[in-house]
This record gives sequence, C-alpha cells and structure tokens, in this order.
Amino acid sequence: MATVRISLTVNGKPVVSDVEPRWPLVEFLREHLGLTGTHVGCDTSQCGACTVHVDGVALRSCTLFAVQADGCDVKTIESVSAGNELHPMQAAFHQHHALQCGFCTPGMIMSALDLVRREGYELSEETIRQNLEGNICRCTGYYNIIKAIGAGAKAMRNASAG
Amino acid sequence: MYVGKPLPRPEDFRFLTGRGKYVDDIKLPRCASAGFLRSPHAHARILRLDASRALKRPGVIRIVTAQDWAKAGHGKLVCVHPMPSSDGQPMREVLRPAFAAEEVHHVGDVLAAVVAETRHQVLDALDAIEVEYEPLPTLSVTARALDDGAPVVHEQLGSNLISEILRGDPSLAKQAFARAAHVTALTLDSNRLAGNPLEPRCYLASYEPETDHCTLWATTQVPHMLRRWICKYALNIPEHKLRVIAPDVGGGFGNKVNFHVEVSTIVWMSRELGRPVKWTATRSETLQSDTQARDHATEARMAFAADGKILALQVDTIACLGGYLSNFAPSIPGNSYPQTITGLYTTPALDLRVRTVYTNTVPIDAYRGSGRPEATWVNERLLENAAREMGIDVVEIRRRNLLQSSDFPYKTPVGRVYDCGNPPALLNRLVEMAKYKELRQEQAELRKEGKLMGIGIAAFLDKSGTGPSRQLSTRGGLHGGFESATIRVHSDGKVTVLSGSHSHGQGHSITFSQIAADRLGLPIEDIAVVQGDTDRVPYGNGTWGSRSASVGGTAIYRASETVLAKARRLAAHLLECNPDDLDYENTLFFVKGTNRKLSFAEVADAAYHGASYPSDPGFEPGLECTIFYDPPDLNDPQAMHLAVVLVDERIGRVRIREYYTVDDCGTMINPMIIEGQVQGGLGQGIGQAMMEHVIYDPDTGQLLTGTFMDYAMPRASDMPPLQSDYLCVPAPSNPLGVKGGSETGTIGPPAAIGNAVVDALWHLGVRSIELPITPYSVWRAIASASAGEA
Amino acid sequence: MYAFEYRRPATLEDACKALDSLAESKPLAGGMSIVPVMRQRLASPAALIDLGRIDALKGIGVPDGRLRIGAMTTHFAVSRSELVRSKIPALAQLAGGIGDPLVRNRGTIGGSLAHNDPAACYPASVLALDATIHTDRRDIVADDFIVGTFSTALAPPEIIVAVSFPPPDAAAYIKFINASSRFSIVGVFVARSGGTVRVGVTGAGHHAFRCRPLEATLMTAFDPQAARAARLPSDELISDINGSAAFRAHVIPELAARAVEHCMAGTSGAIV
Repeated sequence: MATVRISLTVNGKPVVSDVEPRWPLVEFLREHLGLTGTHVGCDTSQCGACTVHVDGVALRSCTLFAVQADGCDVKTIESVSAGNELHPMQAAFHQHHALQCGFCTPGMIMSALDLVRREGYELSEETIRQNLEGNICRCTGYYNIIKAIGAGAKAMRNASAG
Repeated sequence: MYVGKPLPRPEDFRFLTGRGKYVDDIKLPRCASAGFLRSPHAHARILRLDASRALKRPGVIRIVTAQDWAKAGHGKLVCVHPMPSSDGQPMREVLRPAFAAEEVHHVGDVLAAVVAETRHQVLDALDAIEVEYEPLPTLSVTARALDDGAPVVHEQLGSNLISEILRGDPSLAKQAFARAAHVTALTLDSNRLAGNPLEPRCYLASYEPETDHCTLWATTQVPHMLRRWICKYALNIPEHKLRVIAPDVGGGFGNKVNFHVEVSTIVWMSRELGRPVKWTATRSETLQSDTQARDHATEARMAFAADGKILALQVDTIACLGGYLSNFAPSIPGNSYPQTITGLYTTPALDLRVRTVYTNTVPIDAYRGSGRPEATWVNERLLENAAREMGIDVVEIRRRNLLQSSDFPYKTPVGRVYDCGNPPALLNRLVEMAKYKELRQEQAELRKEGKLMGIGIAAFLDKSGTGPSRQLSTRGGLHGGFESATIRVHSDGKVTVLSGSHSHGQGHSITFSQIAADRLGLPIEDIAVVQGDTDRVPYGNGTWGSRSASVGGTAIYRASETVLAKARRLAAHLLECNPDDLDYENTLFFVKGTNRKLSFAEVADAAYHGASYPSDPGFEPGLECTIFYDPPDLNDPQAMHLAVVLVDERIGRVRIREYYTVDDCGTMINPMIIEGQVQGGLGQGIGQAMMEHVIYDPDTGQLLTGTFMDYAMPRASDMPPLQSDYLCVPAPSNPLGVKGGSETGTIGPPAAIGNAVVDALWHLGVRSIELPITPYSVWRAIASASAGEA
Repeated sequence: MYAFEYRRPATLEDACKALDSLAESKPLAGGMSIVPVMRQRLASPAALIDLGRIDALKGIGVPDGRLRIGAMTTHFAVSRSELVRSKIPALAQLAGGIGDPLVRNRGTIGGSLAHNDPAACYPASVLALDATIHTDRRDIVADDFIVGTFSTALAPPEIIVAVSFPPPDAAAYIKFINASSRFSIVGVFVARSGGTVRVGVTGAGHHAFRCRPLEATLMTAFDPQAARAARLPSDELISDINGSAAFRAHVIPELAARAVEHCMAGTSGAIV
C-alpha cells in the first residue's frame, strides 16, 4: 500500500512519518508514536475515548485520518500535565473522584479543556451536562465528572489570573 | 485512623496523564495480530468452510478451526457454576464450543481464528474465508422458548429447557392465594442488556520457547481463575507454565469474568508460533461476543390480606441463557435471583419456578446486579400496583410488610438467612430526604394543570460477598469463594499488600491500604498494594459480586493481625519483656511505664536480620503472612430508591426530575469510593430502566443493536439530580463489618422508575410498563390502556 | 478499513478535477458520516478528496438578503454565528443540537446534506426553509435535492459549494431525540413566510420529507391545536426499534404543534 509522508507537530515535537491513508489518527498515535493515552472504545465515533486536540480544537482521533493531520498541531492527553504536576483540570478530576477505571478519562479531560475554550471558566452544571454528550463513561455515573469539570474550570481561571 | 475517610486514589495520576497500562497499550516486538470469524446467522448448519484463499493473503500466518482445536487435544469451556434442576437432574448442558464445528447457534458464534502480521491483514484474511451456511429455523424470543413447536436450538436435546429450579412451597402458596383478600398479577419481563465496559476485551500472550513459559496479559477480573481454567479445562497445560497479568483494566462489570474461545486461542497460538499474539475486540464485536445479561420472561402474582400484608408470592420465570452455557450463567437465575426474590418483606409463602432456556442469542452471564435487578423488578412492581389497587399509600404498604431490625437474622422461604439490617430506618430516611408528603401534594396540584408527575419506590436487598467455598460446591460450583492476602513487611518496615482481588475501577489500592494501615498501625504512605499477577499474588478468586471489601478486605485485615502479632512478639523479645507489657501506638512499641521503645521499622529490620529472635517453637525470621480467607457467610446489603418523574405523555418522554437513594452497605471503609460505586451503578441501572436493550429480530435472530448507534449508552444528560444517604448496620460475618456496596445502584432504578411512571399514568388506566421505558414503551402502555387492554 | 488514496487540494477547481479524474473517489468534508462507515468496512471509496483546506467553501454571508452558508462550515460555526442567529435562529438552534460537541467541531452542512441520513437534522430544515443547494455546476432547490435514502440529486463528481436560505418570518425545530444515536427519532422543522407554511420532517421516513397535510392545516390556521388534532396516515412512515410507523404518525403532529408554539413565542425550538 502506497504511503504518504506527513509532517506535523505532536505534543510540541515535530514528527515526520510515512503513513497509509487508511490509518486513523488514533492508530498512528497509539501504534506508531507510542502515545497510548488516547484510547479506542467504540467503532461508531460516539464514545469520545479517543478525543485529542488538533489545531486547538477537540475532535475524535478515530474519525480523522493521520494524513489529514499533515501540517497540524496535535495535542494528546500526554501533553496536558507539566512533568509531574497535574494540570488544574486533572487535579480537579482527582480531587472529585471523577474517574474509576480511567479508560474514558483522557478523552474526558480533552473534551473538558475544549469546553472551557468554547464556553469560558464559569460553567454551570447544565452547560457541562449538555456538553458531555460526546463522552461516554460506564463507571462513574457522571456526577463527579460534572463537579470536577466545574471546579477545574474555576481553577484554570485562577491559575491564568494568578 | 484511615478507615472511614474519603481518601483519594493513588492510581489516578497515571490514568489522568494517559500513562495507564491497559492490555492494548502493551507493545511487544514481533507481535502478531489475531481475529475471529463470526457467524452472521443466528442458527445455521455449516456446510463448508474453506480458508485456502485466506491463507494466501499477505501476512497470514495461521488459520485454525474446530478441527485444529480437536487435533491439538484441547478441552472445553467448562461451566464452572452449574445449577442442577430441583429434581436432582443435571442441567442439559451444551457448552460454548471453542469453535463451532457443524452448527452455529447465535450471531457472532466463532468459526475460525486468523493470525497475521497486522490487524489490517487479519481483517482482509477474514473476508477471504469462504463459508457456506444452511440457515435453520431460529428462536430468539425467550417467552416462546418452551412453546410447542418452537425451533429447538440444540436438536439433540429435543427442547430448549436447560434446568428447572423450584423454590418455596407451592401448596402453601396456593392456599394463601385462595384465601387472599387481594391478588395482583403482572407480566414482568427483564430486558436484555450488554455490559459494555468502555475498554473492549483484549488479550496478549507471549510464549517464550527458551523457557517454555507463556505470559498472558488479559482484560480479566479474575487472573488466577482465568489461568486455572485455561490450563485445566481449555488447553491442558501445566499451570506453572502460564502467568496471567491483569494490568489496568477498563471496567469489567462481569463481562471480564469469563474464559472464552478468544483468550484460549491467543494463548494457544502464541505457544504454537513461539511469538506474541494479540487480539483486541472492536465494539461491534463486543456486542456479539461478550456475554449479555438479564433477559427474563416472567409472570408473577402477589397475594395480600385486606390490610395489605403480603401472604404469598408466586413467580414463573423463563430465564434465557443464550445459545450456549457460559461459565457462571446458570447460577444467576438459578441462585442469585431466587435468593432475593422476596426482597425485604415478610413473605409467608413462595412459589417460584425458574426454567432456564437456550435461545439463538449470545450467551448470558454475570453482569452487575446479576439476578437482583430482575428480582426487584418483580417484587416491587407487584407491591406498588397492589398498593394502588387497594387504595393504600405505597410507603404505608411497605411499612406494613418490611422486615424489622428485630426480625434479623431472617430466614427466607428460599432458605437464605439475611444477616442484619434496619429496613424501616432506611424507608424513613428515604421519605424524609425526598419530602414524600410534599411530593404527593405537588403531584395532585400538577395533575390539575394536566401535568403528569409520578413517584415510585424500590426497596430491595442485594446479595454480596461470595462466599463460603463449601456452600458454592454444594451447588456444584467448581470454584471457591475464598480470597488471598499477603502482608509482606520489608526490611525497612514498609509494607506491600498482595491481594487476590482485582480492581478495574473500584479503588482497591486506597481501600486496602486503609484497612492494612489501620490494622498495622502504620502511616498509609508506607503501604503499597499489588494485584493482578499470578506470579506475584497467591491464588485469589478475583473481583465480582461485590466481594472484594468483605472477603479480600477481611483477608488483608486478618493477615495484618497476624503480622502485627508477630511483630509484637519480636518486639517483646528484643525489649526483653512480656508481649502484654507492650503498648503499640504511632508505629512505636513501648514497654509500659518506661521509655524503652522500638519502632515498627526497627522490628522489621531485626526480623530480616535474623540475629535475634524468640525461641518459641515455630518462630522464624522474616515478617510476612499469607492467608486464604474463606468467609463464613455472604452478606446482605440493602437499599431503597425513590424516583420522581415527569411524563410528557403526548410523546412518551419520561424525565427523571429527582432521584433519591439510601444504602446500608455496612461499614464504609472509604465513603468516596462507595459513593462512586453507587453513582456508577445508577448509571447502569438507569440505563436498564430507560434505554438499554439488546434486541434480536424475532424471526431471524439478527442482532438489531450491534453498535452504540442502536444500543443506547447513558450520557451525562441522562442522569437525574441525585441525593444519597447511608445508614449502615455493620455486617456480622466479617470483622470489618463490611457489606457489598457496588451493585445496589443497578438494582433499584428499573423498579423505582417503573413504579413512578405507572404512578404518573395510573389514572389513564396504565397498570404496567415494559422495560426499557422508552417513549415508544410509554406510548404503547397508554395506548393499550385506553384500548382497554391494561 | 480498506485502503484508499488521499488528496487534499487547495482550491475548489483542483478538488473538482481530482473527483473527476480519480475513479470511485468521494469528497471528504468533516468525515462525521463517511469515516465511521468506512471504519466498519461498509464503504470503500478508492480515493478521498479532502475539502478541508478550501477557503471558498467556508463562511457565512447574507448576499441579496439570503442567508448563505459555505458547504464546509461546521455545525459549531453555524450555531454561534451572529448572522444565522439573527436571520434564522431556528437554524442555529438546529446546528447546536446536532450530535455532540466533538461532532459539531468537525461536521459540516455540506457533508450532512450530501450524506442525507434519513434521521439527520439539516435535511428537514432545507425542506422547510425552501433552501437552495449550490453545487459547483448548478443550483438545486431542496425539494429536488432530497431524493432517497442516503441519496441526493448530486451527480458525482458534483459537490456542494454552499447552501442558501430565504429568511422566514418564523421558524422552529423540535428534535425528538434518539437516546442511542443522538440523531432524531423524529424531527420536525416548521417555517412560516407570510401565508406559506412548510413542514420538514426527518427520522420518520426513508428520507426527510415535507408533510403536506400538516402544511395545509397550518396554512388554514397557524395554530398549534390545529396541528395537534391532525391525523396522519402511517403507511409511508418507517418502523424500527425506536418506534412503529403508527407511533411516528402520532408524534409528528405533536412535534409540529410545539414548533408552532415556539414560532408564536418567538423562540427557536427544543430538544425533547
């Protein structure tokens, strides 16, 4: 199968690679770059476990081909924390017990960060609920995730202000 | 003191930063990929299977079928928890074959496995395998499985019956019904579900010819049992040649308790090929190959005295077990369901018949709740309908029938003895939290405005902490109910806890650390918990049935006791005093009345130095203890739920406006973890109540809900505002006082919400509602009520 | 996934050339419809022509009084656009309710219309709003565009360039949501311009359609009760696991009535 050379930035680092057009971005990230924090949970582009940021916008990496990411800036969950220090959103998830098995968690965090980008730091419970349609969790019942995202957004505001 | 505190979890860090290690994340050099050919037919004869074209596809290494399995001398996917019929007859057993040989019996039934270099090549090769089928008549509707003339799933059996279980006393019940002031009767089917943990099943086996040893990384809840079954039943290999590691596992809920063809084949292929082999399920594959759940067809009646007291319960259930018998399946409708069918009420007489049947559907097995949601749906729907029919308030009828705390230990008509509890206190708290009286007033006011509000309750029992191994074996169980724990103190005084339980989200690491730290009197930072590796952890029975805290936790507690006692003895020896003269506090052993002391760490150091220790017979160097704890009994968590719903009756949409829960889960080791379990359970319980349904075409057996596009998974916006409380009576059967806490969330919602919806629509003549309570289901209920068919 | 060739042209002209010259090629918009289908190996185009870099296909404007939305405009952009919110708020409401935020970040109006899922929201709106689909070679009115299940009047390699809408006097969209797919069980879009009422229905048939009986009723009286009382035949409606044809026939008038209530209140609709 003919491959295409792509050049992109992944988590701040330049990447050049030859990919088959049919490889979804998630497969490229997991299998070829060893970034296994992005997960595959379904095959109908619904569960959101594969959520990443491409050019600053959250999307499902199972529904984008790696070739489409040529020239793009891709950020995965591995880029969110700074070394050993958790990002305020991650810290909020920890404090509020917003994860159990952890499988949906990277996607939840990436979606939560995108929600803050779209809607700001003051997020009502209703807003958060409505904006989690694209992320399925089977373990938590979502209550703590909603609390965590609200708290995380506030903490992000404080962190950016301070 | 750590027990009782909502301490956060250490594993969060790796999950939050994308550094969890799930099986599919593990990459090994030279790893081949596997895939499985699955039947598109629900019932068909296999006329011809030709893999010759597929074998020529690029990258294909091996293709195996039933013939290869037999030639290799492999065994069976044994049912480890059989249930004979009540008349002593064994179950009419047809096990899941590794590979279908002559017939397929459900969509998704496996015919062959392909091993190739890459996943893409596996899929291309699967496409190239030619199979000729002769479709056969299909049975996919449980209620019809025992009808005259129904298609028979396994011809050699002559019928679809697996076993018939009878409980109670039919003649006593008949008399009670005869003299009853009131009888309520309902059809109360339980909808079929798919557990759908978010991480699909994945197995990676790596056999090394140099050492003749295979390591299997598996998405499993039961690493030791999986190893045993693969070795003993499936592949006939020595157990010490297989290591099973369950690393981070992304949810289980019962789906990952089984040993199917896929895991057995991965180990087999790796051993044959001498290289790693991996298989990862897709979600579509999961919906055809993971075991499914519930699926009961039930007719039930309850008899009452004039004052609303229950006189008898009669239940006739046909319980589907799918196309083959899965590993645990018979015990769910055969044991868990009967044990909780009378719930929390004094029920003088019971007549229960459960007939388990085959249908041309994916095999059924354990899934969170296992039998208790089905039982509660029956019991609670009958009770509330009766209350309304008799003009008794639904809370009041419960007051009249609930077991009092003084009734415990309470022996049910099934023979199970419920250990302890205070159901009336739970009910009081529930109605107080929900402001029940005001809700009723509001309901009346809204009704005047034409708005339909409903209030429904579910009061119920769970069954947890399996369990005494001897008890399991009397039912023919081929596995025990004990749990292992090793408390290993290192020479610096820090501790590793090795547990045979397995957390796949339940937070054992912090919970078990809390138990060990308290019992050992050490700071929690000094404790690490290890699980999920059969090479490191002594044999355990794994995590399912809400058993890890009560059985796994108690094992840790007891082993910690033994370790501390030994440390005390050694400390006394080193301090040259009597062990009774020692106090132990803040990690220090003090000789009473003096300032002579030794730290726990110093004692550990001495234990591993071995230079000086007591001459008591049997006293050895080292400081560790392994126990295999067999619990003396199960335990009986209880809970009550109240749902407030608004029904938009013109389109059938039900909105849950508020939801209340009160739980008795015994001692709460970590309230944060428990709350997470209750909430997570509610997600699945509300899923069953409102939207989840595995549907097979009634004529062809085709799976109509093969992806998340058609199988509805609850999202955040589906969850109602929630208030929860806990009123705990410690369990008497373990020193921690713990009862299970993880399954009540799944048990209550169908009944609570079903009762609420019927309550909202009662004045329209609605008396029953089918699960799941979709808009279509509500519309059908209203339509049939107005057509006079209620 | 079957193998395919991939191109990402910079101009519309290059895209049309590629689609014309490469056999079995398909345009790739947001990918929200076509990629899942390819992942399930249910479709295997030999080539995908990614339209994502073509600026001529993006943007929202109001040339000559019509609201014109570029084919590659995302649902998110439509839902947030001040122009859409002021001219046809019901359209912004509709776009903001498609799928989920991740879908809305990528999915496009052109992709959705070209795919023409029988339960998608946009097809109901273009019928009700009497929209025009502008392709690279002609203009097609919505009534002529929606032809069958997953099929439109587009003649490959023809692609959608933009969609334009005459702003109505009032419009509203009621989406009766499907819990599993988050598409509609049934969706009803009502638009009134002067004395003309058009009712677009999705999720109830083999493709989105105009409900003529309800249009007639509402043109007699733009009254929710009149809509509510309408009785529709069920014989051309679909039955599936979410509901029978009879259920859908029962629900359509109710949803239309609620859309009318929103029109009268000056609000744009709801997800029910």
